[in-house]
Amino acid sequence: MSEKRSETATGSPAVDTSGVAAETVPDALRESAARERREKLRLFLTNWQGVTGLTLVLLFFASAIFAPWLAPYDPNAIDIPARMSGPTLDHWAGTDQLGRDTFSRMLYGGRVALKVAAIGVSVALVIGLALGMLAGYGPRWLDNLLLLAFDTVRAFPTIVLALATVALTGPSLELVLAIVIVTSIPQYARIARTSTLALKSTDFILAERSLGAGMGRVLFHHVMPNVIGPLLILAAMEVPVVVTVEAGLSFLGLGVLPPTASWGTILNEGYLVIRDTPWLVIAGGIPLILTTLGFTFLGEALRDVFDPRMNRGR
Amino acid sequence: METLLDIRNLSVDFRTTRGRVHALRDVSFKVPKNRFVGVVGESGSGKSTVLWSILGLLAGNAEVTGGAIEFGDRDLLKMTEAQLRGVRGEEISVVFQDPMTSQIPVLTYAEQMQDVLYRRKGMSTEEKRRRAVELMAKVGIPDPETRIDQYPHHFSGGMRQRAGIAMALLTDPSLILADEPTTALDVTMEAQIIHLLQELQNDLDATVVLVSHNLGLVAELCDEVVVMYAGEVVEAGDVRQIFHAPRHPYTRALLECDPARISDTQGRLPVIPGDVPDLAHPPGGCIFAARCPRAMDICRERTPPDVAGQAGGVARCHLLDGPAADPGWPPPEDVQVVQGGRAPAAPLPAPAIGDTPVLEVEDLNVRFQTMGALRARMKGISDPFVDAVLDVSLSVRPGETVGLVGESGSGKTTFGRTVLNLVPAERGSVRFRGDEVRNMPERHFKPLRRDMAMMFQDPVGSLSPRKSVRALVTEPFQIHGLRGVDLDAEAERLCDLVRLPKAFLSRYPHELSGGQARRVGVARALALNPKLIIADEPTAGLDVSVQGEILNLMADLQAEHGLGYLIITHNLPVVRHISDRLAIMYLGRIVEQGDAEEIFRQPAHPYTEALVRGVPQPDPDRRRTHVALTGEVPSLMNRPTGCDFVNRCPYADDYCRQVQPGVSAQPDGRRYRCHYPLTRPARSA
Repeated sequence: MSEKRSETATGSPAVDTSGVAAETVPDALRESAARERREKLRLFLTNWQGVTGLTLVLLFFASAIFAPWLAPYDPNAIDIPARMSGPTLDHWAGTDQLGRDTFSRMLYGGRVALKVAAIGVSVALVIGLALGMLAGYGPRWLDNLLLLAFDTVRAFPTIVLALATVALTGPSLELVLAIVIVTSIPQYARIARTSTLALKSTDFILAERSLGAGMGRVLFHHVMPNVIGPLLILAAMEVPVVVTVEAGLSFLGLGVLPPTASWGTILNEGYLVIRDTPWLVIAGGIPLILTTLGFTFLGEALRDVFDPRMNRGR
Repeated sequence: METLLDIRNLSVDFRTTRGRVHALRDVSFKVPKNRFVGVVGESGSGKSTVLWSILGLLAGNAEVTGGAIEFGDRDLLKMTEAQLRGVRGEEISVVFQDPMTSQIPVLTYAEQMQDVLYRRKGMSTEEKRRRAVELMAKVGIPDPETRIDQYPHHFSGGMRQRAGIAMALLTDPSLILADEPTTALDVTMEAQIIHLLQELQNDLDATVVLVSHNLGLVAELCDEVVVMYAGEVVEAGDVRQIFHAPRHPYTRALLECDPARISDTQGRLPVIPGDVPDLAHPPGGCIFAARCPRAMDICRERTPPDVAGQAGGVARCHLLDGPAADPGWPPPEDVQVVQGGRAPAAPLPAPAIGDTPVLEVEDLNVRFQTMGALRARMKGISDPFVDAVLDVSLSVRPGETVGLVGESGSGKTTFGRTVLNLVPAERGSVRFRGDEVRNMPERHFKPLRRDMAMMFQDPVGSLSPRKSVRALVTEPFQIHGLRGVDLDAEAERLCDLVRLPKAFLSRYPHELSGGQARRVGVARALALNPKLIIADEPTAGLDVSVQGEILNLMADLQAEHGLGYLIITHNLPVVRHISDRLAIMYLGRIVEQGDAEEIFRQPAHPYTEALVRGVPQPDPDRRRTHVALTGEVPSLMNRPTGCDFVNRCPYADDYCRQVQPGVSAQPDGRRYRCHYPLTRPARSA
């Protein structure tokens, strides 16, 4: 075996090829990996977009999760004497036409947005990734079939689809979720499919096949880790879209049912009383704007830092 | 002699996440007028960085930290961007490595070449066109008047490189930079381009800086050579002095490692142990000390002096001057400096070649569909296929190495993939250890994959990028569901087997050098003790000093495990050293097959002859004067009638044009497809 071979016999002495003593290599390696991570983090933290985005996103998550503790009032508690008030010390963002505290409703509305965004985006991402990889790696007919399905879904205007479905089932949060998921799957699937197609003919996939790796192994061990990066960035940028879709549907009365607070329903109610007070519309609009900005900034900063194609160079 | 370009003390840093990489340190050399200067070095030596510094086209994270590049009486480093733009293209032009990507695919050559002359306001369009046609004719493009209106995709690779050279010459520049001008081309094309450059050299009195890792190319073309290593010039001088009396140990080692120079095909290939140092932290003293066979203490402490030689030229080594000077250095040419070659008492254990073939292929045919059935019907084409592999018969016995040689498009890679059932075959038979395996369903074939493994062309690209080396080398065990295996122990065993330091197990592919990645590839191939290994260009992308290591390793493993190798390559000098038998492929057919040594001694097929004679020799005194083979490999879509090789064969006659030669056999087992084999004495008559 190998141990028996003398160094002169092999023609290549067992020197450490990196030119460092063997035992120091893991440390040096760990150190260089850690340095690279630190460098990435530094790049991210010096990017004003990234920091702003991260702050806004954290604010969004914290306000939604801790809403029951942060909100000064029950979101559905009616205070008739103080109805339609502007911002006061008691009601920081004023009240609506029923005298409900708008600030509390904003916080609770964030919970609906977070729920839709988290569940909608993650489910769509997983399904889109799986279908996209299948379309890219699988046989041609399956690719064509799935592409046809994706294009059909994409060709449907979201709101019209929602209107049609609501006519059949009646409005609910679950319906909003379902529509968000169905309409955003094709985007993820398209990207996953294109990347998979590009990977399919690379040497390393062929090498895996020559070792006997089956489709499942190739897809989940070798294709997915190389495809998922851009998809996660896309997901971060997709969150505000989902939040606005939910708000839009709720605004149209197709989403969450009253009296549940949602940014869309706040906007809707504010729109009815806009001649009397602008505060309701402002209170429903600002969190939407901030969330959208936050996730978009975060997504762009992540892409700038992690996407190797964006790196400067020749 | 007048100096055209004078690079003095040039230093360039790259800012990377790993810190500042000192890519060039104190590089100085002169380019005299009307001379060819070759810059040679392995990957990471900084030779391309020098080239791009001259043009001021370094990557955005590069920073020139010192020095001067004087072009005539101007310093290129001090020029403004606008001034530099005036120099680029007009006074200094570039011939690029890859003509596929360096030409604009949506413009005809006429348009591209007129664009090159955009600064010549006084020149009319007709004049520009006339000049372009003139140059296209000069670089040997037939019928330039009509071909100049074609697009790059109408041209073949060799023609494109010719057009690239024409474009570089168009503005009549005083300096031409050539970046690996033949690396992307096949052997016969390379020979033609070299010949073209030689002619131009005589005609035009051009000044050329040629950057290459190919010693043969440099020896054929250059008057002066600059040898670079790890960002420093270690030696510079006249081409004959560099190739015949190198004074720096690195130059010496580099020359000794070139397989084309080693006539003895038995025994191991010499190697330079170790790796290029990390240029983020360059070691003090001599940059080559860690790998130098003659390194002394002083080498690690003090930077060696630049010692001028008697015949001109400089070399940076302590052996030549100073307290550690050795009057016995450099030793005579027949003394080997690097270890691991012929000298050490370790002849290769003669591999015991078995009798029953491990792989037997008979009349294998592979076809690819070129268009859909419906479209073919509409266009009236009855047979919308191309034959990538035609009637190929080949066998590999245990312990035997068979070299499959051919230019790109010859079908050699397709053949290898078909044997491994990665591409479906049309006809024929593939028997592995006696069992027919052609087009076997994957679920029956999977157990057989344990016994046959493939090594792919790109050492780094054939490793899954997000997996650690440990996961990669142990993956075969997981794929084949082998239980009761201690994966960690196996990973370490395989590391030992391919002589990869164990610390590398936690690395990722992009952190490996080409040679290290190749070792991981070998380890993966060997994980399940296969009987047959198909290696597609096992030395592609490896430096001269490293490829010897890999080939020695493969030879050792063969002797130890009785492996059968099928080596697919276009690199003849390498295949000569490792193969027992050779098969030469052309347009999907094997045109000649037989004992490797015999074929090199006396080829039977004219194509084999052209290949064998076409390899550039790393010896400036053996420059070729004529091109063995004209024309290019025809497309598979329009195969000539009669012999496939008829259009390029210097000996072809009417009979060859009409009748396809069958397979003939000689008593010694050589088989060939030719009506008039070169081995038959009547040939010369």
